[in-house]
Formats: sequence, structure tokens, C-alpha cells
Amino acid sequence: MKPEENTGIVGWGAYIPRYRLPLKEIVRIWGFSEETPKGLNTIEKAVAGRDEDAITMGWEAALNALKRAGIDPKLIGGVWFGTESKPYAVKPSATVIAEALGITPDTMATDLEFACRAASESLRLSIAAVASGMVKYGLVIGSDTAQANPGDILEFTASSAAAAFIVGLSKEAVAVFEASYTYVTDTPDFWRRAYIPYPLHGEAFTGQPAYFHHIESAVRGLFKKTGLKPDDFDYAIFHQPNGTFPLRVAKRLGFPKEKVLPGLLTPYIGNSYNASALIGLAKVLDEAKPGQRILLAPFGSGAGSDAYSIVVTEKVLERQAKAPRVVDYLNRKKIIDYALYAKYRNIIKKI
Amino acid sequence: MKYSIARYWRERHSHYRLKAVRCLDCNRVNYPPSTICRYCGSKNLEEIELFEQARLLTWSVIHVATEGFEDYKPIIIAMVELVDSKVKILTQLTDIDLDEIKPGMLLEPVLRRVSEDDATGIIQYAIKYRPVLKRGD
Repeated sequence: MKPEENTGIVGWGAYIPRYRLPLKEIVRIWGFSEETPKGLNTIEKAVAGRDEDAITMGWEAALNALKRAGIDPKLIGGVWFGTESKPYAVKPSATVIAEALGITPDTMATDLEFACRAASESLRLSIAAVASGMVKYGLVIGSDTAQANPGDILEFTASSAAAAFIVGLSKEAVAVFEASYTYVTDTPDFWRRAYIPYPLHGEAFTGQPAYFHHIESAVRGLFKKTGLKPDDFDYAIFHQPNGTFPLRVAKRLGFPKEKVLPGLLTPYIGNSYNASALIGLAKVLDEAKPGQRILLAPFGSGAGSDAYSIVVTEKVLERQAKAPRVVDYLNRKKIIDYALYAKYRNIIKKI
Repeated sequence: MKYSIARYWRERHSHYRLKAVRCLDCNRVNYPPSTICRYCGSKNLEEIELFEQARLLTWSVIHVATEGFEDYKPIIIAMVELVDSKVKILTQLTDIDLDEIKPGMLLEPVLRRVSEDDATGIIQYAIKYRPVLKRGD
């Protein structure tokens, strides 16, 4: 028996901020072609308000996960927060959330960084911690107010959202981890140096040698480890930096787009970095039926990808309505213009 | 740094989770919490949390904010009545436009940034209230 099989998701939650920036606003301000956002298969992106950040968004996603899990917060033994937009450079975000949710002080808590896949590494860590018996429950949060250089192609998709999962023993789980596999290399496709406000990237280099190579290697590694194949899965959720890459990687791996679309949110909210694939998983769990099998494959630049096989249990049905669903947050939206977006994301130079 | 980090730390549970105290002698709720009941002077108090939905009673809009709060203008200061405990608290509204505010509207608590001690100091987080999220189910 693999260690993963002793563990599963006990509660899940998501958060999407209220504000949406239509991508045609970025076209208007920076002089792009109207075809550019169409090529990204993305219409709008979610924008955190002026009083929001990775901590506040992660808090709400974690609160929703707690509502679904129905557990005493004091039983959580690890709070692992994956982000690349920490409000503080030095001072943990995880402790603020742990304190605000009543989890402190008997817990581990830390922030992890691996571009967009730190929260996925957190998921693997929490599986290990729960499977070993070291903690009863682990709280995993992926939350980002993604940064992008104004006028860069990245600005079309860099967005804000959060997802959270409580990992516990499989007997309590709404979805059991069947197996997991991670593939990492040193690949410089995207980075942000210290004291620099925006990340840089290798343009087309972010595609084949980074996104596609790592996700395909992770998923094929999972297939080899388990003997599973695309036909065995009901859903396939990939990291979604734009609306086209997940569909292309699915095709290359042999998944039809019908298995990808239920968990594909980037066309409506943009790329929420550490929440990108995980909010797709949250939406799929909102709708999933017992017995269904989910492939989850987050990716982070630098670079690495994890592949998980997750099997939904009967318990999912009783917990789906216990907290707001992803679609409730999708439906709550207020369209804003570039000026308000610039204020909310603090990209107007002030002294 | 202009803010007292000791005070922010000391008050974090009332800011993050609406911690309050109930007087076991006169049954009144003290929020923010205190060590002596403001109503009867008793020290016989129990800790409670007021993390619950609320109804909007009244509000005021601040267009000229003090230092550390300027970027959050307009700031909507609201008196709300908590639905279950009936306690009235002073809070801020968020995720709402001024023309959407209606007396009696149902609100829910969310953790948000309240102020910043300029670009280098402490970020203060606290509960604000927003319109209850509409649910599809």
C-alpha cells in the first residue's frame, strides 16, 4: 500500500475576489492587438481589492475548507501556505491565517515558495505528515495576488484567487489520494530577483521546455507508477497559465477536452498562480460524484510538476453545500477599468 | 514606525476573530473585550467569539482618512447588529459600492487589511463586513 492511500482531502475551499478586469482594457491601455487575449483564451481576470492580499484570500479559502471538514481547528498540526506574493518578505503569512482561524499555537506553520507549485509541494508534504501519523490534519493553502510588469504579456493573465485543502486520513476523506509523483529540474523559464517588483520570463521558453515537459513527465511518471491511463480518469486538471496550454497538454497526454473544461477557470478569472490548478480541483470537488477519479497536475516555474490520482468518495455529497462553491464566487463580480485595477494592485507610483 | 506593535499583537484576537467577553453576572457582552465588565464592574467574565452574520444599522463614509488609511478611501464605518447575539459593533464595510448600501442588509465577516504603517511597517488585519455572498444552492 502506498503512503498516499492512507490520506485524502477532508475539506476544501476556494476564494475569488469580487473585481474583474476585462482583458480588452489591457489592450486599450498598452496598445496590444485585440487578437492577443483571444490567443490566450481568456476574457477577464480576477483582481483583489485594495484591502485584500494573499493572506486575506487564503484565510477565506481556508475558512471554507474548515466549514466543509467540520473539524476542530485545534486538530490541525500543519499550516502550509504556498504563494509567490507574500505580503511580507520576512514574516510568515501562515501564522496570521493560523491565528485568525484558531489553529495556533500547537501547529507547524510556514510559507513555501516554488513559483506556482509551492502549494502543490505543500500538498505532498501534508500527505507525508498525515500518513506518518505526525499530524492528524494538515491545512494546505495556495493563494496569490499574481504580479506582472504593466504592459507585459503576462499582465493579461496574472490574477488573484486562493484555494485550500484539509488533508486527513482516508477514512474521513471526500477524496482519497491514490498515488502522487513529482518531477523537477533546474529550468530558468520564469523568475523574480530580490527587491524587484515584477517577475521576468523566457517568453516562448516557458512553453515546451518548462510547462509541457514537466507536466507531461509528471503525468507519465504517475501512469508508470500506477498503471493508470487517461481513460481511467473522469477529470483532468492542469496548471492553467492561460486558457490554451491546459487543453494542449491534455491533448498531448490523450485526455479529451471534456475532461479538462470542468476544472478550467483561467478563461474567466486568469492565472491565480498557486491557486491556478488547485482552484480547478476545488471546482471539480464542488460537482464530483462518488467513485470518480481526478488527475491533478500543478506546475511551477523553475521548474516542476506534481501528478496526483485522486478518487472521490461518498462523503463528498454531504460536504459540497457546506460552504460557498467556486461558481458562487464566479457569479459575484464587478467589472472595473484599468485605473481602478492599477489602484487596487498598488501599481501606481506614489510617494 | 508609528503604530504600537505591542497593542496590535495584544488585540489580534478581537481583530481577527471578534473575540469578546460575556459578563457572567449581568450577562452583557463587552466588545472589544475588557478585563472588567463595562456595565457592572464584575470581573466574572467568559471569553466568547462574535464571528457571525450581521444586519446593517447605520453608516458613515470617510473621504479624508488619517495616515496609514489613505489608500483605503472611501472608508465605510458601519454600526451593525449581530444576528445571533444581538450585540452591536462598530466595523467597516468592504466589497460594496456606496450606492449599494441599504439599511438592514445582511452582512458577513471577512478578514481584510485595515491599514499599513507605511511601506516598511506592520500591516494591520481585522474583520470587516461585506454583503453575504449569494449561493446558488
